Amino acid sequence: MSTKALNGIKTHARTPDLSRRQLIGTAAGATASLVLPRAAFAQKTFDGKKVVFASWGGGYQDAQKQAFCDPFSASTGATVVQDGPVNYGKLRTMLESGKPTWDVVDVTIDFLFSGVVDNLFEKIDTSIVDVKKINPNFVHSDGVGDIVWSYNLGYSMTDYNESSRPKSWADLFDLRKFPGRRMLRDRVAPMLEIALLADGVAPDRLYPLEVERAFKKLETIKKQSIFWTTNSQSQQLMVDGEVNLGVIINGRAYDAVNKGAKIGIEWNQHIQSVDYLVVSKNAPNRDVAMALVNAMTAPEAQAKVANLMALAPTNPDAFKLVDEAVKPWLTTNPAYVGKGLLTNEIYWRDNLKALSERWEQWKLA
Amino acid sequence: MLSFRVLRPVASRHALLVLPALILMVGVFVYPVGRLLLRSVSEPMWGLQNFRELLAEPVYFNALVNTVVISGSVTLLCLLTGYPLAFTIARASGRVQRLLIFAVLIPFWSSILVRTFAWLVLLQSRGLINRTLIDFGVIDTPITMVHNRIGVLVGMVHILLPFMVLPLYSVMVRIDAAYTHAAASLGAPPVKNFLRVYLPLSSPGVINGTVLVFVMGLGYFITPALLGGAGDTMIAQLIEVEVADLGRWGVAGALAVVLMFGVTVTFAFLARIGNQARRK
Repeated sequence: MSTKALNGIKTHARTPDLSRRQLIGTAAGATASLVLPRAAFAQKTFDGKKVVFASWGGGYQDAQKQAFCDPFSASTGATVVQDGPVNYGKLRTMLESGKPTWDVVDVTIDFLFSGVVDNLFEKIDTSIVDVKKINPNFVHSDGVGDIVWSYNLGYSMTDYNESSRPKSWADLFDLRKFPGRRMLRDRVAPMLEIALLADGVAPDRLYPLEVERAFKKLETIKKQSIFWTTNSQSQQLMVDGEVNLGVIINGRAYDAVNKGAKIGIEWNQHIQSVDYLVVSKNAPNRDVAMALVNAMTAPEAQAKVANLMALAPTNPDAFKLVDEAVKPWLTTNPAYVGKGLLTNEIYWRDNLKALSERWEQWKLA
Repeated sequence: MLSFRVLRPVASRHALLVLPALILMVGVFVYPVGRLLLRSVSEPMWGLQNFRELLAEPVYFNALVNTVVISGSVTLLCLLTGYPLAFTIARASGRVQRLLIFAVLIPFWSSILVRTFAWLVLLQSRGLINRTLIDFGVIDTPITMVHNRIGVLVGMVHILLPFMVLPLYSVMVRIDAAYTHAAASLGAPPVKNFLRVYLPLSSPGVINGTVLVFVMGLGYFITPALLGGAGDTMIAQLIEVEVADLGRWGVAGALAVVLMFGVTVTFAFLARIGNQARRK
C-alpha cells in the first residue's frame, strides 16, 4: 500500500474519534466543535474570504486573536486580518468616506453612541448574530458588547492592610486619612462621576451631572494628584510606589498583580464601561464580519479572553468557564451586581466635547 | 540667509538634483499638512468657527502660553549649560574633543520614550535620587521632582541639549584663539574680553542653537505627557486629545495652524537677528 493511501485511512480514522470526544465534556467540546466542521465538510463556509478586524493592540488584541479570530478562521476558512490600534480620528474619517478598510471594529461605548447618531455602522444582523445569548444590558441595535471593564479604586497592599485601606471614592478625596499623592484618570469621564459619588450624590441621581459641584470637589485634591493617560502609566505609578491609591482599570490591576505587584481593588462604587463590536457601514465583507461578531460572543471564546486579560464576558454562560482565580477581578461577577454603575452614554455623547475642554482648562488653571 | 546673488545660479544649474527630495516632501509632508490646515477652515463647515472656538475657550490660549514658556525655559537652560560645554569641547585637544563629542551624541542612540522613562525612574519619590539623598540623611521627605514642571524641564533639556551644543561647537571651533589673546594683550579683563570679543564671534552658533531648540520644543508631546503635571499641558497634547479622543479634526487643524504660525514667526524673527549680527 502506498503512503498516500495510508494517510487517507489515518485521516478518516481520526474523524469519528473527534466527534465521539465532542460528546464527552463541555470543556473538550469547546475545542472539538471548532475542529469538527473541518473534518466533516471539505468546503468551509467562508473559504477564500477575508475579514479585517481592528482593535486596541497589545495584550488585549493578542487575546482577542487567540480566543476569537484564530478559532473562527479554523472553523470557517475565512482569513482574519488583524489591524489597529483603533484611533477615533482615523476610524471616523474612514467611516465617513464610505469606503472603510476595517470590517469589524472594537470600540468603546462612547464611540458607539456618537457613531450611531451619524449612521456610521451597519445594523447588527440578528439572523447571523445570536444576540439572545448576551446580557441585554450590553446589546445595541448597532453593536454587541464583547467585554465589560470598570474603573475601580486601587490601593497598595504594602502601604495598607484590610482595615486601613481606602474603601470608597470619598476616601480617595480624604487627604487627612490618606495623605500623599494619588492618581486620577486624565479624562473627564469618569472623573466627574467619581467626584460626585465621593461628594455623596446617590448613584441613581447622578445624571445629568452636577458639573460645577464635581469640579469643586476635584479641586480639593488637584495639587496631590497625578493624572495618567495610558494604562501602563497607571500600573507603573502603583508599582513604583509613586502613589498608593487611585483610579485604575480592573484588568490592568490584575495584570500588574500577575506580574508580582501588591495591588488591591475595591468593588464598591466601581464605574462600568463596555467595549462594543461594530460592523462598519458598507463593510466590504459584511456577512463574514457578522459571523465573526457572532463567534466573538460564544461563551468559550469570551471565557478565554477573561482568563487571559481579566476582562469580563457579556455572555452570562461564559462566566462558568472562567478560572476561579480570575473571577474576583471580573466586573460582571454576580457578587458585584448592585455595587457599581454603568456610565450614561447618552449624557456623554451630548456633553463630552464641551466637558473635555472644561477638563483641560481646569487642569491648566 | 543666502543672498539672492548666490541662490540664482545654484537654482538654475542644479535644480534637477533637488527634485527627489522635493517630490518626497510634497508627497509626505506638504500634502498631508495642507489637508490638515484646510480642515481647520472646512470642518464641520466652511468658515472660521474653529478659530473662534480657540479664542472663546481659555484652555487653548493657556496651553499656548504654557508651550511658549516651557519651550523658552528649556532653550535658556540649554544655552546656559550648553555654552560652557561647547566652549570646553572647542578648546579641548584632539582625543578629549572626540570623546566629549561622542558623549554628547550618545543620547541620540536611544529613543525619546526610553530616555523619558529613565528620568521617571531616577526622579520619582521612591526613585534613585530621592532614595540616595534620604539614605545619606540629606533630606527626610522625598523632593517632588516629577509630574510637575521640574520633570518636564529636566527631560526636555536632556533630549534637546545636543541641538544646542553642536551648532555652538561648530562655530566656536572656527574662532581663532588669536583674537582673545590679542584683546588680553591690549589689556581687556577676562569678562570684558568675553563679552566684547568671544560672545559676538560665537553669536551665530547661539542663534542657530536657540532657534533649533525653541522650535523643536514647541512641538513636544511625549515628555510633558509623561513627566509633567496637571498644569503642564502643551499644544501638541491638546491636538492629540482633539484628534484621538474627540475626533475634531477642525479644531486640531486650527491648533496646528497656530503652532505653525508661531514657529514661522519665531524663525523669521531670529533669522533676521542672525543676519544683522552677521552684518556687524
